Amino acid sequence: MSKKWAKYFAIPLMVAMLIAGCSNGNKNDKASPSASAPASGTASVSPAPEGKPATWIADRKIKGLIFMGTDDYTEDMNPEIKAKIKEQTGIDYEIEIMKAEHSIDGLIAGLAAGDLPDFVAFYLNNSGRPEMPVVLKAAREGMFTDLTPFLKNTKIFSKYLQEDFLPLDTRYGVMFRPEFNGSSYFVHMNINRQAGYDTNKYVGGPYIRKDIAEALKIDPSTIKTSEQVYELAQKIKAGNFKDSNGKDVVPIGPGYWGANGREDWEMLFTDLMWGKQDQRINMTNDGQILHEAETEYAMKKVGFFQKMLKEKLISAEMFTMDESRTSEGAINGTWGIIANTHNYQDYNQDLHYLPLGPLDGIKGPYKMEVSFKSGYSAWAIPSTTKNPEDVVKFADYLASREGKMLWKYGLEGRDYTLGQDGNPVPKQEVIDLLANDPNEAKKLGFKGVNNSWGDILGGTDTDSMADFGEMEYGDKLKTDATRGQLAIDYWHYDDRRKEAVITDTYTPISFLGEFDRSTELKAALDNYNDSLIRSYYTKSTDEAKKILDSALKQLKAAGLDDYLKLITEKNKDPKTPIGFRVY
Amino acid sequence: MQQTTLPMKPVKQGSMLWRRVLQHRYLYFMLLPCIVFFIIFNYIPMGGLLLAFKEYKFNKGILGSPWVGFDYFKMFFNTYQSKELVRNTLIISGMKMFLYLPFPIILALMFNEIRNKWFKNVAQSILYLPHFISWVVVVGLMQRILAPDTGLLNQVITNMNGDGSTFFMMDPKYFYQIMFGSHVWKSIGWDSIIYMAAIAGVNPDMYEAAKMDGASKLREIWNITLPSITPTIVILFILSLGNILSAGFDQLYLLRTPGNMHLADILDTYVIRVGLREGQFGYATAIGMLQGVIGLILVITVNKISRKVSDTSLW
Repeated sequence: MSKKWAKYFAIPLMVAMLIAGCSNGNKNDKASPSASAPASGTASVSPAPEGKPATWIADRKIKGLIFMGTDDYTEDMNPEIKAKIKEQTGIDYEIEIMKAEHSIDGLIAGLAAGDLPDFVAFYLNNSGRPEMPVVLKAAREGMFTDLTPFLKNTKIFSKYLQEDFLPLDTRYGVMFRPEFNGSSYFVHMNINRQAGYDTNKYVGGPYIRKDIAEALKIDPSTIKTSEQVYELAQKIKAGNFKDSNGKDVVPIGPGYWGANGREDWEMLFTDLMWGKQDQRINMTNDGQILHEAETEYAMKKVGFFQKMLKEKLISAEMFTMDESRTSEGAINGTWGIIANTHNYQDYNQDLHYLPLGPLDGIKGPYKMEVSFKSGYSAWAIPSTTKNPEDVVKFADYLASREGKMLWKYGLEGRDYTLGQDGNPVPKQEVIDLLANDPNEAKKLGFKGVNNSWGDILGGTDTDSMADFGEMEYGDKLKTDATRGQLAIDYWHYDDRRKEAVITDTYTPISFLGEFDRSTELKAALDNYNDSLIRSYYTKSTDEAKKILDSALKQLKAAGLDDYLKLITEKNKDPKTPIGFRVY
Repeated sequence: MQQTTLPMKPVKQGSMLWRRVLQHRYLYFMLLPCIVFFIIFNYIPMGGLLLAFKEYKFNKGILGSPWVGFDYFKMFFNTYQSKELVRNTLIISGMKMFLYLPFPIILALMFNEIRNKWFKNVAQSILYLPHFISWVVVVGLMQRILAPDTGLLNQVITNMNGDGSTFFMMDPKYFYQIMFGSHVWKSIGWDSIIYMAAIAGVNPDMYEAAKMDGASKLREIWNITLPSITPTIVILFILSLGNILSAGFDQLYLLRTPGNMHLADILDTYVIRVGLREGQFGYATAIGMLQGVIGLILVITVNKISRKVSDTSLW
């Protein structure tokens, strides 16, 4: 009997294994890192066929699969703009956004499935982002085309091959990694043309309700330490302020966008933060690199948060509340202080919440830190794509001034006119439509009306002021205060910007991919983040210490010491300096 | 008239089978979608189990990727978290399996005793409803109800002069109650259906005979209903053992907070967090396979024991 059952079970299983095993087995077999790339330096720019514009590339379709969110990018393109692209380049351009709860889940599934279109794009702020090990593995396994030979023959992307154009992390950590011997498999995007160029004037961090600050006769810019934040919170609580629903104000609430369970709200308690909250690693004055768990700051924070929680000065759900509730609290004025928001948000254009601080750090007074240049996303061409040079040429077209004008300002005549200086001037009716019916305006299909498809391949070498005479779409037409300007002035953004420290560094966790126990260490780092928040909610500091000691033990067991040694060595190499807190 | 006798042809077993298949072709035809479904969704994916022994390469597929033997299994058991993960999984699935077992049975027995048809229908509908609500919504509701200070429960506590600031979702001492309570609330109605069906199949003559013998209602339940539905209970229990190392991903993933993470992190959430989100398909498959194999061994063992000690078994 048992034999019979074994037979019934085994046969379908074997068949299943064979069928599943065979799938994908022969894909990309021939692909080697440079399989479809021409020999270095041999790629040639073919002249446009007769009767075609100089921007002509080829009569073909280019389709991209985008592993980024629909909040940031748009796949519905305007037909007239598509037609214009076709007329200019011959390219029938189409993008599809892969929907996934986390963009990295979509990326992993997409790469594993192997059925990729002409190009893929994904988030990649820096080489420390979780996507990096995934795309690196794909590149090492021959899934992507070597782009270096094609980049050489472009107008815009050839700048990437110049010595000083790219930031260090993009150059050595993302694109031209030493292991690739000059080849590159991803193009890092959103690299500004000028070092330290601002695309926006963000005033981010904690904000306090203006009426509360006025009632308490407090100048928010004088709040510099966590102790002052504590005293301010006590005053807010004692003041019995109400929100728009008549309910008691919570002195300090979470950030506008909700909490993910690991958010420390570092800008509200900067003088208690050892490293930046996404990795918590910093260097001591004598050059020793330590994780927060190895310092006194962990317990300092525990003491501080326990005090705040006990006295009900911060929302008890500070670390776990979802965005629907945190934003509701911000809009209703439930939070006396919002732990994190910024000046471009709609609800605060009248500045009824004022920027608080900025707070000092562990090394002294606040200093603005600006990246030399920083990336945001990247794209790659699968090794299965035919004529990959067409995709690179097309990206180069979109990154040119002409291409950017199309995807940033739309169509001449329909959406803008050209001013005397040759720069586009948006039509007033488009500006009005954008203000009155943003959804309808978006259908016009360009970035100025929040339809973002062009920056996926073309958003780099950015210098809007030089290219179009304004930093943001329509700035020149604005008669009222520019969006976010009230906070920019209040916070003295421009003055602080002049004093800013410009850095060109790697994040301390950028080298996890090179570390042999990266999986264990990553899990232990996450565990520390959870343990820290858990310890805030314990009833005593002893209990909290026990939890944190256990988390530190796990970090050590997962190889923290060896990893810190690795980044100490990296920091000595001028090509791989690590970025630590500047204040 | 000349009589002719035809020699008897030996009938092959195979042709008998085909003749039977042909005879009942419509029934087999109706069975076909079911077979196709199981082949596509249950058997073909089993081929992916090979990944547990291979280092998956994007460009080489499952068969082409190099073998790594039992490396992923060793890696898992060498992880400092493995003990905690297995312990958490066993505790949670044990609660859902053993502690939860009587709840739908009791509910089915209660439904069976309700005489008012209208009330029975309404009560059943209300109790079945949570099954159709996703865990995202259920946990969202719980977060609101159990929120510190502003949540319904804390408001009630405050009105009764208590301290209404308990953060139930963050406090590890309430984790099991919340997890188990929400599981019971969501599943009890739906899971009672199969027991109701089993109760409906009990011969009414037995109840009549018991009544004539003067048996009370409780005695009827104890001596007739429960023994009659025991085979159903045993079979469902054996089948549920297959999921001993799967404690319910959706619910646990959503219920996790930094405060209860050390109790709520289970194998399923670990597979997503470490295995899939970091592209380690082999590692994720190895852990998934471990869950399946242990479940299978348990089902076979308990089925064997059940067959020996009682007449009830899966096969």
